[in-house]
Amino acid sequence: MISAIHSINILLPFFYLLTLVVYFYDFIKGEKKLINIKRVFLFITLFLHLIYIVLRTVAFDHPPITNVFEIFTILAITISFSYFLVELVSDIRGTGPFIIVLSLIFQLISSVFIQDLVQVKDVLRSNLLGIHVISALLGYSGFTISAVYGFLYLILYKDIKLNKFGLIFNRLPNLEVLERLSLYSALIGFIALTIGIVIGIIWLPMAFPKFSFLDPKLIGTGLVWLLYGIGITSKVVGKWRGKRLVLLSISGFLLAIISTILSNFLAQSFHSFY
Amino acid sequence: MNLLAISINHRTAPVELREALFLKEDEARSFIKLAKENLLKEGLILSTCNRTEIFGVPASGELSHQKIQELLLRFKPSQNITEEHFQKYISRDAVKHLFSVATGIDSLLVGDNQVFKQVKDSFQISEETNFAGYFMHRIFDSAIRAGKRAISETKISDGAVTVSYAAVQLTEKIFSNLNKKSALIIGTGETGEIAAKHLVGKGIGNLAVTNRTLEKAEKLAEELKAKVLSFSDFKEAIFKYDIIISATSSPEILLTKDDIKKAIKKRNNQPFILMDIAVPRDIDPESKKLDYVFYHDLDSLNVIVEQNLTKRKAEIPKVEKIIDEELNSFWEWYNSLQAAPAIKDLRDLFEEIRNEEVGKNKNKFSLDDQEKLEIVTKRIINKILHHPTIELRKNDNESGSSDAVTKIGIIRDLFGLSSKKISDTE
Repeated sequence: MISAIHSINILLPFFYLLTLVVYFYDFIKGEKKLINIKRVFLFITLFLHLIYIVLRTVAFDHPPITNVFEIFTILAITISFSYFLVELVSDIRGTGPFIIVLSLIFQLISSVFIQDLVQVKDVLRSNLLGIHVISALLGYSGFTISAVYGFLYLILYKDIKLNKFGLIFNRLPNLEVLERLSLYSALIGFIALTIGIVIGIIWLPMAFPKFSFLDPKLIGTGLVWLLYGIGITSKVVGKWRGKRLVLLSISGFLLAIISTILSNFLAQSFHSFY
Repeated sequence: MNLLAISINHRTAPVELREALFLKEDEARSFIKLAKENLLKEGLILSTCNRTEIFGVPASGELSHQKIQELLLRFKPSQNITEEHFQKYISRDAVKHLFSVATGIDSLLVGDNQVFKQVKDSFQISEETNFAGYFMHRIFDSAIRAGKRAISETKISDGAVTVSYAAVQLTEKIFSNLNKKSALIIGTGETGEIAAKHLVGKGIGNLAVTNRTLEKAEKLAEELKAKVLSFSDFKEAIFKYDIIISATSSPEILLTKDDIKKAIKKRNNQPFILMDIAVPRDIDPESKKLDYVFYHDLDSLNVIVEQNLTKRKAEIPKVEKIIDEELNSFWEWYNSLQAAPAIKDLRDLFEEIRNEEVGKNKNKFSLDDQEKLEIVTKRIINKILHHPTIELRKNDNESGSSDAVTKIGIIRDLFGLSSKKISDTE
């Protein structure tokens, strides 16, 4: 089983790359016949990735959520899977390459650095931890996708304003759709992160004697949560929309990245497990 | 094949000459009557703002393009039209030309699918006036099939190729659903009217129009079920509309940057689309610098039009391939209407039936009788086919004539004889 895990670990970045190439080719050519082919590629990649995660969980006796590189592989699959659902439900084409490239990056980093971690601390075997981490990851996947759609909104917005009617103009969905996709992704991410935070607040003080609300990761996550909360509320009450809203989404995503980097690699935190 | 065609079109004649020969529907019907009395047995008259074309099968064998031209000019006298303004086609080229017209590759705006509808309407008129015989029906079917295939199998009609339509298509890159949006048309001249109609065609939620001459605005509003705004104070209301299309002949700016600034503030920063398709411009171009304002003028819309035209032109080889396929298919059918192959196919069919039935039943007969059965059944078939064969052979001398084609065509249809390819019989 270990050798199968190692083989799939090497194969996964190539599968994501291949899927990305097909999506990118479709983006350039815009041919109808490629619609189903590219979905098949994405489906096969996601299926292989799912097998990989199940195998790892069984072989190493814990879900792959106990360190950054395990989490990266989960992020890769949740991002692409979320996009897969968006594409099936909305039939919106043209944004795939911009999302799948993120999965490729996360999976590539994970594949290079991930190790066969058999021994994990007892505290990381809790079911509550599982829900806490998965909710937080879903939250961050939502924010990532929201930021990508926000970024695409800004590019298209600029192209239309500057009369650039090229590939971006021809292939991307319209501005309202991009704004809506960005908002919905942020909303789903916000709900998931809220669940993660609530579970964390209940469970963390029990699990970690050194727990502190001043922990850099908690502060960072709190700020990200607050930022998205403000943005979504402003949208709901009708004050913010369009460019301002997507800029907020992109800022939230950047803040999330910075907070993760600072708390994981620079600051000493009870959230660092290895 | 004795199909003749003459065409005066955007490549051969300027607009004033094309206009001089334009036939309205009632005129086309009268001309068909005249043509049937004098020259043509069956045919088609296609008349649009860019072309007037006559396709016809002569009633007698000695017809020339010249006579059709003369008849047309007698019907619609015009001194300035000469021989050079007409293109002439015969036989296969005439059919090919009709296919090119129906698919839109011969249009002034390549891929214009309005001409496809006009071709269909012309066919309809031919049918109603009994000008469409057996042969022309088959040409109509093939032309319509070529037109439909060009639209569905290629991108020859994709994208906007007029400024008004480009303006409307651009709004679809900003808003997802025009049903929930409102638009104001400033100026109800030809350009404004076309843009308004495109918006209605795209299902705009609310439409309002304004014009310096109120009556013109009211007329268009009535036609499109739109609201009319007074020209003197429409500025105060622009913030209520998501899309403004301006196409007046006003010499000065109608909407200043300040007007737009005030409107966007009242709109609470909701996207505001301004399409200025007037010359000189109606809206201050500086407005484009404002956030949430999408300002486009003729220059920027022309970029879209040019891009789309280039893309359409790139599709022409694909459409030509479709035309060739349909033409070959038509030609196979046409060649199958020659007398000799038709007689052979008819005899083969009867022989096949005879053979099958004899094979099924011959065991019911003694060995001696089986031979007689063969002889008797063959004799019956020969007797049945004797007269039709003589009649069809008579047509060999007038092969390709409308009568022969009709006769053979009917026999093929009645007996379900498939068209068989006869090479090099053209």
